[in-house]
Amino acid sequence: MIYINAFILCGLICAIGQIVLENTNLTPGHLNSILVVCGAILSFFGIYEILLDWAGAGASVPITNFGHLLFKGAYEGYLEDGITGLLNGILSTSSGGLSVAIIVAFLVALVTKPKH
Amino acid sequence: MKLKEYKKIVDKNSPKEDKIKNVLISFVVGGSLGALGELFVKFLEAKFYMPPSECYMYLMILLVVISSILTGLGIFDNIVTFGKCGFIIPTTGFAHSMTSAAMDNNKEGFIKGIGSNIFKLTGSIILFGLVSAFFLALLKGVIM
Repeated sequence: MIYINAFILCGLICAIGQIVLENTNLTPGHLNSILVVCGAILSFFGIYEILLDWAGAGASVPITNFGHLLFKGAYEGYLEDGITGLLNGILSTSSGGLSVAIIVAFLVALVTKPKH
Repeated sequence: MKLKEYKKIVDKNSPKEDKIKNVLISFVVGGSLGALGELFVKFLEAKFYMPPSECYMYLMILLVVISSILTGLGIFDNIVTFGKCGFIIPTTGFAHSMTSAAMDNNKEGFIKGIGSNIFKLTGSIILFGLVSAFFLALLKGVIM
């Protein structure tokens, strides 16, 4: 069942991240950067599409999905229109989430009162 | 010699966190988030007949909006203390670091405060994701 697959995959990625954090000096910022690059690499070998089919949202919730979306947009753009397509497409598939993140972060920063 | 003794005392007295328990908590919390996300995707598919890629985009937007608002209310730090990596690695952590970076500096004004600090923590994620995706896509496109 896909809910159990989603639970296992998403939980596994988070557990691996926690193990790395416990045993090294890396900060969450390092960890997220590494995972985004991992997502792009997995997407490069075509593994991430399989994971998305197998676990659905379980593969789409972790930050690795951001790397996958960047790679997917860039590669699909390249197939369509060469270098021009690559440059135009690299942010196309992930722009929804990224724009909303920036807009909401700005609005929240406007509304909240400055500390101190 | 003295440094060694000091280190011994520090090691003895620093609180030991239960590593296995933390990993288990991350697994359960992250897994629940994934399963709930799948529930939301199935709901969108059934109700609005969206293709999966659009569903995943709206799921990402939902997570981003919820975690940004919780960060603004000051609740999210407590949630992260409880859920550990279960909330850092999903997209919620991305939105949290962006919102908190913008929030912490908003007293310095629009340009020098919010504008120059909003990407302080998430900039590295966007930078390395973009650069690696660019070169990998170029490589795959040229080879294939």
